[in-house]
Amino acid sequence: MKHTYLKLILFSFILLGSFFTFAQEDEEDWDMYDNFELEDDTPVKRYAAPTVSGMSPQRFISVSFDAQMPYNYEFSEVRFPRSTGQGFDVDESNPGVRESGTADFTGGLRINTNIPIISKSSFVWQSGINFMDTRYSISPDAEFGESRFTLPNGNEARGLGQILNEDGLRNINWTNTLFFPMNETEFIVFQGQMDMSGNFALDSFQPLNTIRYSAAAVYGRRVNDYFRWGVGVSRTYRVGNMNYVPVIMYDWTSKNRKWGTEILFPARAYVRYNFSKNSLLLAGFDLEGQSYHIDEYSINGNSYEIRRGEVRPKIEFQTKLTGYIWASIQAGYRWDWSYDADELDSSRDFFRGFFGNQDFGMINTLENPFYFNVGLNFVSP
Amino acid sequence: MKKTILLAAVFLMSLTGFAQDADALVGVWEPGHGKAKVKIDQIDDKFYGKIVWLKEPNDPDTGEPKLDKNNPDKSMQDVPLRGYRILKDFEYKGDGVWEEGTIYDPEKGETYDCVITMKDENTLDIRGYIGVKTFGRSDTWRRLKMKKK
Repeated sequence: MKHTYLKLILFSFILLGSFFTFAQEDEEDWDMYDNFELEDDTPVKRYAAPTVSGMSPQRFISVSFDAQMPYNYEFSEVRFPRSTGQGFDVDESNPGVRESGTADFTGGLRINTNIPIISKSSFVWQSGINFMDTRYSISPDAEFGESRFTLPNGNEARGLGQILNEDGLRNINWTNTLFFPMNETEFIVFQGQMDMSGNFALDSFQPLNTIRYSAAAVYGRRVNDYFRWGVGVSRTYRVGNMNYVPVIMYDWTSKNRKWGTEILFPARAYVRYNFSKNSLLLAGFDLEGQSYHIDEYSINGNSYEIRRGEVRPKIEFQTKLTGYIWASIQAGYRWDWSYDADELDSSRDFFRGFFGNQDFGMINTLENPFYFNVGLNFVSP
Repeated sequence: MKKTILLAAVFLMSLTGFAQDADALVGVWEPGHGKAKVKIDQIDDKFYGKIVWLKEPNDPDTGEPKLDKNNPDKSMQDVPLRGYRILKDFEYKGDGVWEEGTIYDPEKGETYDCVITMKDENTLDIRGYIGVKTFGRSDTWRRLKMKKK
């Protein structure tokens, strides 16, 4: 009996003790923390965050499949402006069509990575290897054999339709992005890219002097948690051939976090609607392109390259599946900006820009089909 | 016998040293953005941190104290942010490193794995990550002290 009383008293003490602990926590004097100051009062430098509220999540790893609906194409004859001094004038819009047909399928696997190497408040370095496979299934209007022709060096070559059908086009890219916040508002972003693009197979790469380099630098201001803007310049292949274009960044989110913009013009520009924290819709366009080395046509030490550039007006739905895995579904229109070709002297690229008059090696036309893209993304917190 | 006492003393001293190192995390800290102060306490063998001060304590839309409105758990969305425990379950691993814990980001309503590294007695490197430390982001927290009157 005596033991039971003792136990009861002990239990009461424990209960009261825990109650007082709770009470103490509840009655914490929050005002006292106004009076806390830095132990080491060296001035603290604060930095602009690399994003604004409400934006679509940044992708660490992304795997997607892209497919264009059938479309007709017309390819001109293949000329060699550097090897033979004869090409198509830039204003020539309808050179004699040498080959035509239908691309029943254009598309393939895309794998993108963007891994943080250093990620601190004061500096972010992200690096990623990207792979884009574009397979073609082509029905030519005539037999593929009829599009074969003799190169200036005397070798026989396949027509471009047959090359696309049998080899496809591939791009391997290494991108590095550096984000330097200078203070709480201003920041600079540098991006450098190396691209190997062409009809190469994965076990036989093309010459390394066909690697093409792109870069961009943007100065920006993060005005508040909901808005940042920036201006800069880029050397880009997004319009197919190498070009220098201004860059405009404009990322904005409404205070209720429902609406926003994600603009890095000319690469992409979207209006965003956030259904919730876990799903959103983007409407806008992407500009994508590269210069693809066609090995068979690259003679006399030159590089023959298809300048593929396309504008993709699209709607994209992104939704969280689980944890940090998101799905994305795109539907849009693939608008042909350029599918012309150049012969590059000794594989060295040149600047034609919008107004240059260097002759083209081919002038090609693609009809514009709808396209779809579905992907799985491992996204950033 | 002398040897045994000496060994025990060394063992006890190293234990005390370990405990002192672990305690170094206890205190009030300011995250890099400077919008909050976080008090880290030790409960048993683990360390926890709660928000004790907010630069903007009230929600500008409602004028009421800020709530954890981004929490994915709806039942938690009415809980005030001040007093909210954002660091949980950290264990001291030696060499100024606390691991096995999580950090909660009230702005996104997300919880991440986290490792805390003491750079010097007044500076912490806090790295929140997903799964592996590569996929994360670091912040620098600085120790605060009570102003001298």
